Amino acid sequence: MTTQTVKPQPETAQQQPELVEPYGPVVLRLPPAVPLTDGLLAELSSLNDALRLERNAQGELEILPPTHHTTGNQNSHINRQLGNWAEVDGTGEVFDSSTGFTLPNGSIRSPDASWILRSRLAELTEEQDRRGSPPISPDFVIELRSGSDTLRGLQRKMEEYIANGARLGWLIDSIDRRRRVYVYRPGEEVEVLEGPESLSGDPELPGFVLELQFIWERSF
Amino acid sequence: MANQSVEPRQDFIRIPPEAPGPHVPIVLRLDPIVQLTDAQIEALSTVNEILRIERNAQGDLELQYLRPTVIGHLNIVICSSLGSWRRENGSGVAFGSSVGFTLPNGALRSPDASWISESRFAELTDEQMAGFPPVSPDFVIELRSTSDNLSVLRRKMAEYMENGVRLAWLLDTVERRAYIHRPGTDIEILEAPESLSGESVLPGFVLDMTPIWEPGF
Repeated sequence: MTTQTVKPQPETAQQQPELVEPYGPVVLRLPPAVPLTDGLLAELSSLNDALRLERNAQGELEILPPTHHTTGNQNSHINRQLGNWAEVDGTGEVFDSSTGFTLPNGSIRSPDASWILRSRLAELTEEQDRRGSPPISPDFVIELRSGSDTLRGLQRKMEEYIANGARLGWLIDSIDRRRRVYVYRPGEEVEVLEGPESLSGDPELPGFVLELQFIWERSF
Repeated sequence: MANQSVEPRQDFIRIPPEAPGPHVPIVLRLDPIVQLTDAQIEALSTVNEILRIERNAQGDLELQYLRPTVIGHLNIVICSSLGSWRRENGSGVAFGSSVGFTLPNGALRSPDASWISESRFAELTDEQMAGFPPVSPDFVIELRSTSDNLSVLRRKMAEYMENGVRLAWLLDTVERRAYIHRPGTDIEILEAPESLSGESVLPGFVLDMTPIWEPGF
């Protein structure tokens, strides 16, 4: 047995990242002690910038830790491509993950990227429009799987989007080395693609093509 | 017999050392929007059984998933040893990991095992004991498993000592190392010690470390 003493000071040694299984969001059940109202969720979100906070249909708080910077970079590529197409197309608006939507089942979700028809956005009342998380389901959602997401958790989320009115959903799994994309449409079996170079939004998003090279091959 | 091939897992990921997640608690800022009472935190802990809920000195909630089964087993080993020492020749009160103490800096902490001397215990009212008593234990033990970040735990140990704990052990089951904290002295690091002594804080208490380093699973 050897003994050593050290000064009580913070850890300085560099720790190596460890290989772990993803664990999904931390789910904190706040009600009934603290009811998770829209207002409280909005306030908590602004106070905790680094975290993505959502509410599930049971009224529980789902806390997603900050993503790795590569995921942030991939998300921004996705949003740029979707935004470029939407501007030319002109029939809808694009939202990034800072927007929360209140779905018909009561959950508040923030997809990585989403698109909503202008005609549907116009139906929101002034009061609904002012709310932080408008009561509307996106027509189209993209979720990109990051290091902390479990595949099953994201698949359930995609099923929730479709069950609540989304017409097309893409789940892009950049963690799985098989480079899978899961395509969701209402009333249809989930289509699983392996390593597609691009995805087509037809017919729901006419002419939209998402190039995926920047997802599969990290450039830095 | 059919030739079975097991597909290797495709989806393991590398998490940076200080990222929140299975190793580092998620910190949820609440103040000044919500000031949770002790009763509300207790209610949250009850309905969120799979989370360990603590509060840091800034009033933020620290949330962490339950830890590997082996830690629960080691907790029992430690607590039963601490419990039998107290029954036979000790005084004070020993606690397992399900209690919370409100430290003088306002943090609410739940050590894996702890012990409070007769004199500190005597100052607490029944009402305080029903919630999260405003007291620092005299003695605490924290276990580090594969799901715990070492530097997070070392900061927690430093917080215990700054708040009046008289003896604190961090037992690192990953590296097989024990960190012994005593007030006003350097931290002593022991490599896989066979036993640890309660010294003057818990006279006569000796924890056999064999089942800690060799839990058998």
